[in-house]
Amino acid sequence: MASSRILFVVSILLCSFAMHSCYASELFSNLKKSILVTSSAKHGQVLKSGEANITVTWSFNKTFPAGADSTYKTVKVKLCYAPISQKDRGWRKTKDELKKDRTCQHKIVKRKYEASKNSVTWTIERDIPKATYFVRVYVFNAEDKEVAYGQTTNTAKKTNLFEVEAITGRHASLDIASVCFSVFSIVSLAGFFYLEKRKGSSQQK
Amino acid sequence: MGDTPGSSMHGVTGREPVLSFAVASPMVPTDTTAKFDLPVDSEHKAKVFKLFSFANPHMRTFHLSWISFFTCFVSTFAAAPLVPIIRDNLNLTKGDVGNAGVASVSGSIFSRLVMGAVCDLLGPRYGCAFVIMLTAPTVFCMSFVADASGYIAVRFMIGFSLATFVTCQYWMSTMFNGKIIGTVNGTAAGWGNMGGGATQLIMPLLYDVIQRVGATPFTAWRIAFFIPGWLHVIMGILVLTLGQDLPDGNLGALQKKGDVSKDKFSKVFWYAITNYRTWIFVLLYGYSMGVELSTDNVIAEYFFDRFDLKLQTAGIIAATFGMANLLARPFGGYASDVAARRFGMRGRLWTLWILQTLGGVFCILLGRANSLPIAVTMMIIFSVGAQAACGATFGIIPFISRRSLGIISGMTGAGGNFGSGLTQLLFFTSSQISTAMGLTYMGIMIVACTMPVTLVHFPQWGSMFLPPSRDIVKGSEEHYYVSEWTEDEKQKGMHQGSVKFAENSRSERGRRVASAPTPPNGTPNHV
Repeated sequence: MASSRILFVVSILLCSFAMHSCYASELFSNLKKSILVTSSAKHGQVLKSGEANITVTWSFNKTFPAGADSTYKTVKVKLCYAPISQKDRGWRKTKDELKKDRTCQHKIVKRKYEASKNSVTWTIERDIPKATYFVRVYVFNAEDKEVAYGQTTNTAKKTNLFEVEAITGRHASLDIASVCFSVFSIVSLAGFFYLEKRKGSSQQK
Repeated sequence: MGDTPGSSMHGVTGREPVLSFAVASPMVPTDTTAKFDLPVDSEHKAKVFKLFSFANPHMRTFHLSWISFFTCFVSTFAAAPLVPIIRDNLNLTKGDVGNAGVASVSGSIFSRLVMGAVCDLLGPRYGCAFVIMLTAPTVFCMSFVADASGYIAVRFMIGFSLATFVTCQYWMSTMFNGKIIGTVNGTAAGWGNMGGGATQLIMPLLYDVIQRVGATPFTAWRIAFFIPGWLHVIMGILVLTLGQDLPDGNLGALQKKGDVSKDKFSKVFWYAITNYRTWIFVLLYGYSMGVELSTDNVIAEYFFDRFDLKLQTAGIIAATFGMANLLARPFGGYASDVAARRFGMRGRLWTLWILQTLGGVFCILLGRANSLPIAVTMMIIFSVGAQAACGATFGIIPFISRRSLGIISGMTGAGGNFGSGLTQLLFFTSSQISTAMGLTYMGIMIVACTMPVTLVHFPQWGSMFLPPSRDIVKGSEEHYYVSEWTEDEKQKGMHQGSVKFAENSRSERGRRVASAPTPPNGTPNHV
């Protein structure tokens, strides 16, 4: 009887835990757009990954009331997919629930929050895929929850979009190795076949 | 070895219990003059299945054969766990990913049908070596792929390698006596299929190691593909140097002993396609083996995306799906046999229906599961259901026709791949349907497409809901199997094999048979 009571209590605790984490998930629509963000990339510009760099500048939007940024502690600058690169690609889908949102998958930098002008110059890394992007800045509070944001594009995500030209991942050395092994495979097969046929016919003679 | 093209997939049963690893001597006389490691029959085929031996030629052939088939499964599904990287590198849409999955299983529909003839002409050793070494370049080709069309084309070509299924089963039937060939073939097929699971583990691991050594992601996955490519070449060379076609030597070096009357391909084909049961099983296998192949292609990406897992973690989970084949497929054959001992063929049909429908139900639940532990549990039960159904299917196939067993087995196998391609096209290619919904729909389709097994009726044994015919003539096994021969052919005595088979198949009456029956000889022709 005591053990079943303990089980009951534990399960209630677990359930409340689960519900707590469920309810605690932030929604994008609840965030305040209180950060102004600009980037050096112009609309339609093509940047080469591994070579080109982009400078992102962000600051607190002074039109908001003075104490609004009292809870802001850290800042994450992210590279986000534009709608055209999300089309037919469910793994990049935009969702209001931030935990499930897949729009911004590439982190540029993480910094402490400062109300004055911040900037970072970042070289496009070589694992960034070919797509159309914009930049978004998320602000976190002390509990590491999103509280505000800012982005380089408008709400409809149509302006200030730039492209990244990715690396192919191919290398001449890989191509050559590939051809060598393929030729080896075919030649050894043909060789075996020919040798055995010759052995077979010489045995018959 | 005088079989006509296409009829070479004999002995593909899996109906013998897993525990029947040996044929008792009085049933099949041992040839005491032959000097082999294992006791052999008069054709020098092994009577005993000693799993952990590598003795030449029988067990060595078994291991060469299943490992070759395993290797081809590894390379055919090697891209699946790496799709999250590949889709970014090649800028793929969901449609591209889905189409590549369809392509990967479509090529082997044709290559499997052709391989039967190749085995007849060149022997299974060269059949296997040819496929595995000629598809090695296609695996290496992944390093060249730059866009969606290249990716789809290369996956299509790699898929041809699954023809090693035919060489595997054919080669086993040259080396093992007909009474244990079911267990041998079932084990070889199951362990080969495990490759689809092992690859989900191997490829992310290789990718991780190569990345740590310094390669960027978009190069690392290309390098990872070299390993399956090398496996192809290594296995091809091993097969050529260590393998032999027949217990006594190689095909080219031996005289063909043929006192088996050659059957006409057109006749064998006709009796296969005019038997309605053939088509029901083509459909059914598409929803046991077919869904297994489809799931191999989508499950790693599904867990990666839906539950936010690391590539390696998603790979481990996906691997458990395919690795369940180690036991699940033989278990299905065993369950079919146990049911047949009591209820005969009706028991086999019910077993198949129950296993496959269960698989479908748990597939639906897998798609609906919102938490990781539940999803993994549903996936495991789904895998056991689907793979056991594969084993149970080949517990029934040998009884559909004795004359056309090879072609029916081949068509069923092709049906598996066709079902896989169709399912991936319908549910996993459109961006309107999420993968979770796709799994749910696939589960519903499994349940629906398993219903036709209720229509399979044998006059001599009955069906799921109907008892056998009471007519003395029509209700006999002889009538069913001998009706595949014309009067002319009966005059020539061509039907004698069928008569013997009919006698032996009386065990499918279940407990109605008074005497303990000898298991029917599943191999229509001696090789």
